[in-house]
Parts: sequence; C-alpha cells; structure tokens
Amino acid sequence: MTTTTTRLLTTCTAAALALGLTACGGAAPPPAATAPASSAVAAEPTDSDDSATAEDDETAPAGAKVSANTASEDEIAAALESAGVSNPDRWAEEVVEYRPYPTDDPNLTKLRDNLAKYNPGQETTDKIVSALTP
Amino acid sequence: MTRASRPRRTDAPVLVRRGLVALTVVGILAAAFELATERHWNGTEQLIPWMALAVLAAAVTLLLVPRGRGVPAARVLAVLVLGASAYGVLDHVLVNYESGALDERYSQSWDTLPALQQWWLAVTKTVGPAPTLAPGVLGQSALLLILASTGSTRRREQLKPASR
Repeated sequence: MTTTTTRLLTTCTAAALALGLTACGGAAPPPAATAPASSAVAAEPTDSDDSATAEDDETAPAGAKVSANTASEDEIAAALESAGVSNPDRWAEEVVEYRPYPTDDPNLTKLRDNLAKYNPGQETTDKIVSALTP
Repeated sequence: MTRASRPRRTDAPVLVRRGLVALTVVGILAAAFELATERHWNGTEQLIPWMALAVLAAAVTLLLVPRGRGVPAARVLAVLVLGASAYGVLDHVLVNYESGALDERYSQSWDTLPALQQWWLAVTKTVGPAPTLAPGVLGQSALLLILASTGSTRRREQLKPASR
C-alpha cells in the first residue's frame, strides 16, 4: 500500500514536471509553428513561376484573379489586397493551408467552409473568393 | 455464500487497472474519431496529435507485455504524450489569438483591446477556430495509462520466488 502510494506520487510528480518543462519550452515555438504549414507550401518556387506566367499578377490590374491552388502566398496576398480584403497576408496563409481546392468548383465552397471557422463575415468571404480561381 | 457473491479483495486493483487501460483505449479511439471528423491533417503541425495517438497506442501495448517488462517504457511514452497534449493546448490558444483580427466582430478593434481580454477571447474560443482544451484529451488518456501502470507490476511479489 505504501509502495503503491509512493509510486503514484512519484509518477504524478514526474508528469507534472514534464508538463511544466514542456509548457516552458512550448511557449516560444508556437508563433513560428503556426506559420510553417502555409509558408512551406508558399515557398515552392515552381508554383510561383507557374502562376506568374499564367496570371502575371505583379503587373496585373486590380481585380485580377489568381489561382488558389497554384499561386504563391505572396501572390494571393497581393490579389486579396487589391480586392480590398483587410489582413491580406493572414488570409493568404489560410488559403494556402487548406489546399487543394476542387478545380470544378468556381465558387470555392471548400475554401468558404474553412474560412467560415474564423467568422470573417459574408462580405470579407465574398471579397476573398472574388480574387481567386480554383 | 457471502464470500462467493463479493469479489475477492485482491481482484479490485486488477479490475481498476483493467478499467483504466480500457478508458485509455476508449480515449484513443474517441480522439482519433474526432481528429478524423475535423480533418486534422492540414500541414505537419496538425499531424502531431496523430503521432501522439500512435505513441499512446504503443504505450498501451507495452503496458500489456507480460511481467510488466514494458511498464517503464510505457510510462516514458505516456509522459511524451502528456507533453504533446500541453503543446496542443498552448498552440490552439495561440492560433485563436492570432485569428482575433480576422473575426468580423473584432477586426476593427482587436489591436486596441487589452491584452488580457485578447487572451481571454482566445482561450474561450470566442475568436478563432481551435477548440482550446480538445488536445487535453490526449493528456487525460496518457494520465490514465500512467495510473494504470501504477501497481501493475508487483515486482516484489514477482521477484520473491526468483530471489529465493
């Protein structure tokens, strides 16, 4: 009985210590950790090149659409900004994160469903989708 | 008659231990179902809980190794899962916090809110998409496993015949 109690206390203490250490160490990485999923995808140079030739959004007039599937994160952010979306960089991250999007859905229903989790409002969602093609 | 109807005193710890292991397995299955329905696989970071579930399943397997040989390893794995669980809770809070400016109710005022209120809105999931305490289920299951491992190896009793 005493042995069991001692073991229990030791185990719980070890667990609490591990939790504490993890919490201390985990405080720093998350801000960087929230971005990599999207930044990793956005870093693909081939996507950027492909979409640059296809869409040419750097020189495109305001309102030009870019591909939600193949454009780089920067290109999407630029398109969103020209569409009047606030926080375009942050939204571009989300667009990249939830790839791929069905090419036969011009309304980007999958993207709309995922953006809805952030409660952006209908107007913002429409603006985002209006700047993108599948 | 009375003796036959009551479980023997020595059976109680065994029953509790088996119950804790069963609850751990239920927790693993429930968490896997929840992750699957949430399509929790967008990016490497979202795969962490899947890996933690696999580690926890391995820990359960180790716990069931005869003579308690796998108990120490099972405990180490369970502590790792506890760490992953704590990381998940923190990460979910941070994701919500960073989503505050995207919410149409706070898009104009988010930067002007007091920090305490911003964090409170994030912790309570008033802003953001991430369920704050959901990763805690992993930690709870890991704790159940650690508790199940306590007293699972009656080493003294097992070693006595060997040492004689």
